[in-house]
Amino acid sequence: MAIIETKQLVKTFGGLTAVSGFEIYLDQGELIGLIGPNGAGKTTAFNMLTGVYQPCSGDIIFLNESVVGKKPYEITQKGIARTFQNIRLFKDLSVIDNVKIAYHQNVKYGVAAGIFGTKKFKQEEQEITNKAMELLKIFKLNHKADEYAKNMPYGEQRRLEIARALATQPKLILLDEPAAGMNPQETQALMELIRFIRDTFGLTVLLIEHDMSLVMNVCERIYVLDYGKIIAHGTPQEIKSNPKVIEAYLGEEVAI
Amino acid sequence: MAEFLQQLINGISLGSVYALIALGYTMVYGIIRLINFAHGEVYMLGAIFGYYAITTLKLPFFAALALAMVLCAGLGVIMERIAYKPLRNAPRVAALMTAVGLSLFFQNFTIYSIGASPKAFPKMQQINWSFMGATVSNGQVLILFTAIALMIILHFIVQKTKMGKAMRAVSFDQDAAKLMGINVDNTISFTFAIGSALAAAGGVLVGQYYGVVQPLMGTLPGLKAFVAAVLGGIGIIPGAMIGGLILGVAESTISAIGYSTFRDAVAFAILIGILILKPAGILGKNVREKV
Amino acid sequence: MAMNKKKLLTVAAAMAFGVAIQSLIWLGVLNAYYAQVLTTMSMFIILATSLNLINGITGQFSLGHAGFAAVGGYFSAIITTRIAPPLPGPIVFLVSLLVGGLVAALAGFLIGLPTLRLRGDYLAIATLGFGEIIRVLFVNWKFVGAAAGMWGIPGYTNFLWAYAIAVLTVLFIVNFMNSSHGRACVSIREDEIAAETMGINTTRYKVMAFTFGAFFAGVAGGIFAHLIRLLHPQSFTFMFSVEILLMVVLGGLGSITGSVAAAVLLTFLSEALRQFAELRMVIYSLMLIGIMLFRPQGLFGTKELSVDMLAGMKSKFKFSKN
Repeated sequence: MAIIETKQLVKTFGGLTAVSGFEIYLDQGELIGLIGPNGAGKTTAFNMLTGVYQPCSGDIIFLNESVVGKKPYEITQKGIARTFQNIRLFKDLSVIDNVKIAYHQNVKYGVAAGIFGTKKFKQEEQEITNKAMELLKIFKLNHKADEYAKNMPYGEQRRLEIARALATQPKLILLDEPAAGMNPQETQALMELIRFIRDTFGLTVLLIEHDMSLVMNVCERIYVLDYGKIIAHGTPQEIKSNPKVIEAYLGEEVAI
Repeated sequence: MAEFLQQLINGISLGSVYALIALGYTMVYGIIRLINFAHGEVYMLGAIFGYYAITTLKLPFFAALALAMVLCAGLGVIMERIAYKPLRNAPRVAALMTAVGLSLFFQNFTIYSIGASPKAFPKMQQINWSFMGATVSNGQVLILFTAIALMIILHFIVQKTKMGKAMRAVSFDQDAAKLMGINVDNTISFTFAIGSALAAAGGVLVGQYYGVVQPLMGTLPGLKAFVAAVLGGIGIIPGAMIGGLILGVAESTISAIGYSTFRDAVAFAILIGILILKPAGILGKNVREKV
Repeated sequence: MAMNKKKLLTVAAAMAFGVAIQSLIWLGVLNAYYAQVLTTMSMFIILATSLNLINGITGQFSLGHAGFAAVGGYFSAIITTRIAPPLPGPIVFLVSLLVGGLVAALAGFLIGLPTLRLRGDYLAIATLGFGEIIRVLFVNWKFVGAAAGMWGIPGYTNFLWAYAIAVLTVLFIVNFMNSSHGRACVSIREDEIAAETMGINTTRYKVMAFTFGAFFAGVAGGIFAHLIRLLHPQSFTFMFSVEILLMVVLGGLGSITGSVAAAVLLTFLSEALRQFAELRMVIYSLMLIGIMLFRPQGLFGTKELSVDMLAGMKSKFKFSKN
């Protein structure tokens, strides 16, 4: 059963067509890659899926319901979380606060309870802190809980952003170049982590990646985007031998 | 009909002063994305300089106008170098706060030095002409023609000169302009100089039209000129002119239909309306933050 | 975090301090001038911390705080002078402050809803515009004396009233900040797009912060009206907003204790400079520029001054002495 399915998504900016006829589907629990050369429209596609951009036409069906026209926060509340290509952490806040903020949508106590400091408020705050620490433990960031996010090394910031996205308790998570700027060892560890969280949290994962080897190793299926269009789709083996993909990547470094 | 024409004439002469001030706002915003709150005070200082040039130095009107423009151009450059340049990479709110601070400083320093009481600006002999039932004074004609002349000069500078080309380049992409060998600092200083000179001209014209100048005269016209700039599309030079004229006509119309006590609210109502309906202004294009 | 023993103790101590000062005023040890200054200080604490909720904590740059204070001041004065219910003074006063606060909050809500879509400097100008529009409306409203102002307002405000309300305001804002809803506001300041992707309804929280901030500004306006005993549209100009803003910036955007400290500091500084009336504003403006150029994060940054922090500084000091 498809958890998410897009139908003929189109996005134009002025006269420029960034994405057209974008069609993908993801089944529950899959780990799917979306690749393509620079400027192919990958991030634009992500922005449409998360409500940051409104598609010009087409439809997005998430859990049997169209999410086109919904605001980003509504889409997150429905269960789609994401990370950003250019890391958007709350830099001047502590690591744990970054995660706690992401739990906000599941907080049940009201504004008044917070202001009067009721019992319910205290209990729930304790729970949030505990859950956030557990999550940080999984990402091996628990020892840095009280540090400012901006003071962490790059690789840890990327990990924190994923942890924060997970704290919104999503069903589908979109990762925008999670390994960008990481060295091969870090990348390898990250991929294992992504697989691990997919299995433990029962997630579906869609990831944009530049590093072809990484996508080939970890993803079950791959979509290839070029000039805003899906030009190929299939298992890593099929993608590797697809002449269209090779052509699209000619001139780019292909590390297969 | 004559009444309507009269308000149109009053509105256009008031509006062309707003336009002169708005040009400075819009040019500075276009180049460094800063709302230079102190710009209204530059206009006020221009009027004060003009006043002293005419009364103390006994200069003729146009010489006083030129002197005020030169002095304010220098002031604009100094202001930019001392207060805004260090904050060019700081959060915009910091620069905005500094601008508010500068505005208060100029206002209060002027009050401190010359007192808060209004000064009588020598007016020229008033001549009125009748035009299709409406009255046009020589003061209004002077404002209109000086404003038009200055705008033509500005247009020439921005479109035809090397400095104008540099200004456009810097406002488009500061880093790329730097890589093309443009001296960004000088270009920004030049923009402040021109913007401030235009505001000073507005100040002297208004001083001579109403016959009075005082240290608090800059705040409200400054804010209204900003509204004019936003209305036309901030960062766009023709937009500032259109916005200024619309605002001037709107204000004199409101006064004419008997709501003169609401006059000062009109500009802000227009501002809020335009920000909600078309935040980029009449001539602007909407841009959104890249994610 | 919310109402632990330490916090209760702090609040109790703060209240006891207020009662002690008020006793000194009643006993005549502190004269009427000091009483007035201390009351003004408390009023500014309310104004600065509530503006900090909007500007510092939620990161929405508002320049219209004076407008909300004006709404609150006028409406509370309408209760005590035009309606004047035959009830004991303190009850009438309390009701009037509440009404003033609520009407200001309503104004904040109505203004916030459309304008909070704007960002940064555009929002600053729009709120400034609203502040001016509110002022022009009062100039034209004959029921409250129009341009001549509103006279003969009973002098209900005393130090203890203002101070107790200031303590409650600070408590309210600190508790709000430490709840998940407060964190939602902070996340908007940090990165609005990321906040929205975390499932936070940013509009809701921006409007909420704006409404709360306006409420307290309104209450402070009521305190002001019944302290000065006369209201005039000219009392609530843009300059008044700037004075409050200076306190928030000096203390540090986002730091409540910073706002409190700055409100105290600037109230006294302004009194000390009173004899140099015109120079006072020159110094104020130079301070504002100086802070932005040399210490844009303010005295405290976004940090809070706490007993623990002082204890920490002390122990560090001891350590360095060894």
